[in-house]
Amino acid sequence: MKHFLFIIAVLLVSLTSCQKSDFEYNTSPQGNLDALWQLIDERYCFLSYKEEQLGFKWQEMHAKYSEKLNPSMSRVQLFEVLCQMLSELKDGHVNISTSLDLGRNWSWKEDYPENLNTELRQQYLGTDYHIGSGLKYTILPDNIAYVVYESFSDAIGDGNLSDMIAYLRLCNGMILDIRGNGGGELTNAEKLSRRFTNEKVLVGYMCHKTGKGHDDFSEPRAEYIEPSEDIRWQKPVVLLVNRSCYSAANIFIRNMKEMPLVTVMGDSSGGGSGLPFSSELPIGWSVRFSASPSFDARMQQIEFGIEPDVSVSLDESLAPVGTDSMIEAARQLLQKY
Amino acid sequence: MISKRPLMRYIVSVFLCLLTVVCIPMPLHAEQAALEPVANRAPSSRAFLLGIGRTNQLDTYLSPMEYKGVQISFMTQSERMTRLAQRHISFQSTFHGAFTSSDNPAETASYLGGRLAYDAGWHYHCSPLKHLDLKGGALIGTDLGFIYNDRNSNNPAQAHFSLDLSLSAGAAYTFSLGKLPMRASYQADLPMLGIMFSPEFGESYYEISQTGVGHDIICAHPGNALSLRQMLMMDFCLKRITLRAGYLCDIRQSNARSIKYHDFSHSFMFGIVRHFQLMKRP
Repeated sequence: MKHFLFIIAVLLVSLTSCQKSDFEYNTSPQGNLDALWQLIDERYCFLSYKEEQLGFKWQEMHAKYSEKLNPSMSRVQLFEVLCQMLSELKDGHVNISTSLDLGRNWSWKEDYPENLNTELRQQYLGTDYHIGSGLKYTILPDNIAYVVYESFSDAIGDGNLSDMIAYLRLCNGMILDIRGNGGGELTNAEKLSRRFTNEKVLVGYMCHKTGKGHDDFSEPRAEYIEPSEDIRWQKPVVLLVNRSCYSAANIFIRNMKEMPLVTVMGDSSGGGSGLPFSSELPIGWSVRFSASPSFDARMQQIEFGIEPDVSVSLDESLAPVGTDSMIEAARQLLQKY
Repeated sequence: MISKRPLMRYIVSVFLCLLTVVCIPMPLHAEQAALEPVANRAPSSRAFLLGIGRTNQLDTYLSPMEYKGVQISFMTQSERMTRLAQRHISFQSTFHGAFTSSDNPAETASYLGGRLAYDAGWHYHCSPLKHLDLKGGALIGTDLGFIYNDRNSNNPAQAHFSLDLSLSAGAAYTFSLGKLPMRASYQADLPMLGIMFSPEFGESYYEISQTGVGHDIICAHPGNALSLRQMLMMDFCLKRITLRAGYLCDIRQSNARSIKYHDFSHSFMFGIVRHFQLMKRP
């Protein structure tokens, strides 16, 4: 029996080397700021790039915002300080989600003209337009196909795409209007892109962090768009974009820029090229941050947006007469082909 | 979202119902001989156990917080003596399944988890004392599981997979408490070498779906995945039934590619043991 107990004791002692989390659990305001600062320091994928582009030092942010804390501050005050610290990153994919509010920095679209009038867009669609899951489409009087896709969160099936292209096949060209599309599923962006090429196209690169260092990244992996095996669009396309095109919509613009018959028109996109991950703080608030960066086909950053091939702005003075100057510019371009 | 407290009560209720079913008396031919050292007794046994306990989970791919909650589990374990080494070698197989529900410290997010594990292997037995049976051997096992976070967006879940070779050691001591024959046993299984799945630090499952999991299968050893399963069990005969009650301590952990993971569970196990005598056709 003594041997039996001895064996148990030895094995129980051997369990002392347990894997523990790297940071100390502390629910005080300082503990939460420490946890948030460390999370961004180790896992945010654009830290070196943002430091270079925006001229801040993340190392200095800890002291700068720690000064704004006091142990008796309320949850609302703590939330404001933490959001201010994250705003330094100017990233729409960085949020603190709480029952109080959604902490955000939407300067990527709020600091620029919207270049979208949804009432005008609706007038172009009319009332008898088709709806194929997330796609709305019609044929304009000059035989131009007009397609609106408002969110990549709206699922689109291969059947929807085939039926749409079949219906529009006799048109002279297509205006694909994704203004205001704030992103969604990358798989939808890829599925739609595949209808606009007849060959396998290199559209960009993607990588991810492999460690906690600011520059610990995997080897960039080439991303290709392969042509769909179903019906594909073979005529000129104008892709209408604005500053609100973000995240998956930004990736879609990147893809479409590499397609042979596509012209990107409008304003620069909003950006958001980091695939976001989630984590949390000791206080229980959820934190979202960019974790895996994507690049264009020339390995250039697209985090701050993609420039259009043709810059066009919305002329609001024409709105009272029912004219969307961006759609009209797209129609004129397509008529030249 | 499911309210957490009712979910806990629901899990406990389900466990108690299952425990009642398992413990309905069955016409078994248990006898005191069944509790003797394994080398002397009936050559085959099979245990059906249900367990409930506490779990502590950490997966820094999902969150840096430790989540704590409840685990319900089941285990079937069979053991039979072989003819090898003059009937000193036994074959053992164990199937273990568990479901966990746990909360973060602030109780604003939950994990739901599941695991299925199977291992099998051989033990060499010896009896240095009349009522003491010692055994040592090796097991080959596989473990497949997941943890799902009900709040995360692009990293909502983490998969766990391992295939490993473990060292296993145990002891059993047979005694009587009054007229009640009893058998105390202990077994520890320590994975020594194998493979396991681990994504890279910031690798998304979207990327894994594009590239495959081949590069995410890595070597596992005590240096990066020190795990240990311990079972301390007590068998006792009540009339014609052999019952087993005990403690299961299952420590699963890894530290690979800057991702730390642990799943510590401590469960009370209870169930029945059936003994068989394998007969040869004349």
